[in-house]
Amino acid sequence: MKAAEAAIVHADRTARAFALTSALWFALATSFGMLAAGYLIAPDFLANVEYIHFGRVRPMHVNAVLFGFVTPGLLAAAFYFVPRLLRTPLFSESLGVFSACFWNAALAAGLAGVSLGYSQGREYAELPWAADLLIIAAFGLVIANLLLTVRRRTEPVLYVSIWYAAAAVVLTACTYALGNVVWKPDTGALKGIPDAILLWFYGHNVFGLLLSPLALGVAYYVLPIATRSPLYSHTLSLLGFWSLIVVYTHIGTHHLLQTPVPTWLKTISIVDSVAMVIPVMVFLINIWYTVKGKLGEIHADIGAKFVFTGTIYYFFVNIQGSMMALPDVQRITHYNNWVVGHAHIGVLGFAGVTALGGLYFILPRITGRPLFSRFLADLQYWLVLIGITGFAVVLTVVGLIQGQAWYNGETLYRTLPEIQPYYVLRLSLGLLILAGAYLGLYNVLRSLYFPRGGARCA
Amino acid sequence: MRMTPPVILCGVLALLAAIAATVVYFPAAQQDWTPSEIYRERTAEEEAGRRIYLQNGCVYCHSQAIRAFDWDMGSERIAQAGDYVGDEPIQLGSQRTGPDLSQAGGEHPDDWHIAHFINPRFTRPSSIMPPFAWLGEERIRRLTRYVQSLGLRQADRRMERQAFWKAASVRAYEAGVEENVAWLTEQVPEGWRHIPNPYPTSAASLQRGQRIYQYFCIGCHGPIGDGMGPAQPWIYPPPLNFTVLKGRAISGGILYYQIMNGITGTAMPYFKRDLESQKIWEVGDYVARHFINQSDANEEPRGIDASWEP
Repeated sequence: MKAAEAAIVHADRTARAFALTSALWFALATSFGMLAAGYLIAPDFLANVEYIHFGRVRPMHVNAVLFGFVTPGLLAAAFYFVPRLLRTPLFSESLGVFSACFWNAALAAGLAGVSLGYSQGREYAELPWAADLLIIAAFGLVIANLLLTVRRRTEPVLYVSIWYAAAAVVLTACTYALGNVVWKPDTGALKGIPDAILLWFYGHNVFGLLLSPLALGVAYYVLPIATRSPLYSHTLSLLGFWSLIVVYTHIGTHHLLQTPVPTWLKTISIVDSVAMVIPVMVFLINIWYTVKGKLGEIHADIGAKFVFTGTIYYFFVNIQGSMMALPDVQRITHYNNWVVGHAHIGVLGFAGVTALGGLYFILPRITGRPLFSRFLADLQYWLVLIGITGFAVVLTVVGLIQGQAWYNGETLYRTLPEIQPYYVLRLSLGLLILAGAYLGLYNVLRSLYFPRGGARCA
Repeated sequence: MRMTPPVILCGVLALLAAIAATVVYFPAAQQDWTPSEIYRERTAEEEAGRRIYLQNGCVYCHSQAIRAFDWDMGSERIAQAGDYVGDEPIQLGSQRTGPDLSQAGGEHPDDWHIAHFINPRFTRPSSIMPPFAWLGEERIRRLTRYVQSLGLRQADRRMERQAFWKAASVRAYEAGVEENVAWLTEQVPEGWRHIPNPYPTSAASLQRGQRIYQYFCIGCHGPIGDGMGPAQPWIYPPPLNFTVLKGRAISGGILYYQIMNGITGTAMPYFKRDLESQKIWEVGDYVARHFINQSDANEEPRGIDASWEP
């Protein structure tokens, strides 16, 4: 290690703040999800409690997962690795902590708005207009801090994780403003079919241009360090990065294949959905060759274990996604729980598990002492792993039951009693994930602020 | 390739701009805004109801786009772009936990919807929709106006039909049991009235009939068939009391026809999509045996014995 680098002191207050944010919202978001799952098996459960009614708590769950749990978790890792990769302190830790507080306030305001009935009624873009502006401002604060850190770097070469982190926040600030139609405060929407096209362009890019690049950045950082291996190929990093930006951005319309949108647009979305195997396989070849023969090292580091597991889910979710974009497959899989399963594999199995890995990778390194409990982290790993794999199986089975029944002319109403047991299974598996989320929150809190021995360190 | 900050930032932003122009701006700019033949503007009250629909996340369970291969509610019309020219935001939806609603207007009369919003299981016993009684009378009324407008001009025609037959059915109900039964019978085409249930009753068929009754009928007609199910307080004319029908010439054919087709104007929906032929005969026979206490199942004329009969 060079002398100059050793002299750099990383306070990591920003990374801590985002780590705490993520752990907290994971617990809250999963609680919202449990409420929603409860309504599906017992609709009169908590009946007539307006503020957590199914149609309100479901978007609260989705937004809290996306913008409370996963994104801040991945940002925590980014705020850890960006200064280190650039060999400079973060531009401003105070700005960073402020941005994390602001982020929490913006999201809480948005969710409160949805809970109180101010939803704009567009899936993934429900948050009311004022909250949209706050979220965009929060992205702005994060972007400023990251880019100004890049500007004062002492390391001339930008590592691939930096590309992904910078692209994710910059592009999402744009797509968020665009997708939420911030220039129309009263409805937050366009009219007619173009509104649907814009909505799914944005909705899909929450995953494609925010969660995926941030998570890939974390994987590119954590796995080579944990296995003490150089990255397999710089060329593949380049190819993976640019092909991800190009291909992912095209495919949102595959949510609308069965609706009256222009056929050429559907064709683009199908072709590019299949072409998603390029960025995905390029990344996976690169990262899996990097860690080849080093599974022992991955197993030894709980953070790397989560991140590596995330890459496996990334493989599954993208193969599945490419397949689901084929019109003949979609006749069965669209409009039912198959898609819900797919969304959970992607957002929790890949991006969420990677975010958890990032947290557990950076926490000991930030605090300079081991995790509060490696056992609890391992327990959380298995709870989440079993929960999400079970989700994938159960929701896929339900989706096939629903899709086949409808396609063969059975009415939806007739399928409701058939799928009820699967909703019970899904809730049971959700309990595992819920338990994992609260254990994780406890572990993160103890690791950061209340370590063993009782002395409070902040 | 050397990845400097300007290369990364300018590169990704240029790509985003180009792709957003291609897949979002061009389709919007080229959109044909010609309204379809069913399009009309919504009234202020329907718009107010739509706000309630948006705020409470109805879209998470109800799509508004019928596909070419759908069979369920609304499948008379495949969605066209011109149907949506007034929707801001559009509510196509991504999931069907409940039925598609793009043609829901006029499928049921208003009183059915009121009972259904108070508690969906009142009119649809297997429904998993949460209750909306907490919306209160006024918001339920506005939401109902919006739902009854879905399908626009097609919904208007159905609503006219509902209003016409509602008046006729109320007149019949208020004239007394004798006249009501006569009116209900008259609405069934002549041929159907004289068809007895052609299939023999068995313990198995009654069990199946009971199951269908519990999944589809019990909310209005009640567990003992007296029309006093939980939906009854909201529905007028009230659900039919089967227990007064003995000796009033209710044939299997009449029961079959009314279950299959429903009685427009009343809360009695059609079940032709939900139930296949055997299920309709068997639930009809269950009602006849258990509640009317008089069944014509297996009486002459019944034609040639079915090949499966023992």
